[in-house]
Amino acid sequence: MATQNPNARAEARRQEKEAKRRAEAKRQRLIYGGVGLLVLLIIVVVAVATVGESDDRIRLSEVAGDPQIEGEPLPAIPESGEDPAVGSPAPVIEGADFEGNPIQVGDSAQVVSFVAHWCPACDAELPEVVAWQDAGGPPEGVDLVMVSTNMDDSRQNWPPQQWLADAGYSGEVLVDDLNASAFQAYGLQATPSWVVIDDDGEVLFRQSGLLDPGQFDELGALAADS
Amino acid sequence: MTVIAIAERVFGLLSVVAIAVAVATAIALVRGRVPQWLRDDVALPLATAIAATATGGSLLLSEVAGYLPCTLCWYQRIAMYPLVVILGVAAVRGDREVWRTAVPLSAIGALVSIWHILLEQNPAWGGPCDDAAPCTIIWVEELGFLTLPTMALTAFVAISVLSLAARTR
Repeated sequence: MATQNPNARAEARRQEKEAKRRAEAKRQRLIYGGVGLLVLLIIVVVAVATVGESDDRIRLSEVAGDPQIEGEPLPAIPESGEDPAVGSPAPVIEGADFEGNPIQVGDSAQVVSFVAHWCPACDAELPEVVAWQDAGGPPEGVDLVMVSTNMDDSRQNWPPQQWLADAGYSGEVLVDDLNASAFQAYGLQATPSWVVIDDDGEVLFRQSGLLDPGQFDELGALAADS
Repeated sequence: MTVIAIAERVFGLLSVVAIAVAVATAIALVRGRVPQWLRDDVALPLATAIAATATGGSLLLSEVAGYLPCTLCWYQRIAMYPLVVILGVAAVRGDREVWRTAVPLSAIGALVSIWHILLEQNPAWGGPCDDAAPCTIIWVEELGFLTLPTMALTAFVAISVLSLAARTR
């Protein structure tokens, strides 16, 4: 018995110490958790306070056009080999620009660029197009027309007319509809895409992807020589 | 004002906090003075919370907001999603050696994030934008520099540093 009492006391002290340690650990976890929740709460409040109202944004339905398309749609651009659409009649698109002025694609010598405002590749190429336009653009008798397609008011560089204006583009723009019908009619699957049409309305060239700056003049010359 | 816009801002601000945590922890690691409270109680739960937030955030933006994840987004998800379970179990068990799994996974994810960020900044490298999900598209840009791969990189770095902080004795 004389040896049990000290052992029991030591055990009791050990248990008491362990209970204190656990209580302290629990208290610390609550503090850390509380601090974490407080930081999260502050962040949410700051986020709500700093995200602006978006109700005054221009909506997609207000920007999208209603182009009328005549003619057979073109097949998709093949990944390799000759483009089967070359020599085919281009679909004729009667549409309008952002201000409602009539724009026509497909019935005259044109270099047509299909672009999407959110597309980083289009954004990268746009300054090159503007520089080409400022330097004289396509030859006499050939028009440069952009088709604003695949628009999405939740994505970057909205609205597209602002995006084009900010880049300094002042040429013709045809606005595609909500279903990107003009884009589809030309058999395209990616932006930017380029189409060259001759004076008789035949397709001379199609390409998806960025052009080298030197290619702009080549496309203009191609349309002019036809 | 939409819930998604608020969520994007929350993720952006959380990323700023994660950057601050990562920098402070890295300094403590380099100086060899990781505080006991950080090492023993905070590092692994915080790393788990970061992985869980990144996972939940990516699912919210793809499944609710409708932002299509590109190929590189998927590679980053592959590195991030398992970290929730790996770090969570380690946090509960007090496994200080979890850095041996967490750091390599985070490093792989961080490398993919860096390549993704470079593609965002150099869209011409990525070719034309198909409608599906080009890796060059910037769905979110908070505070002028926090795009989705930037946020992911922040999370991977913070997780690595916190896992290493939990390892120190």
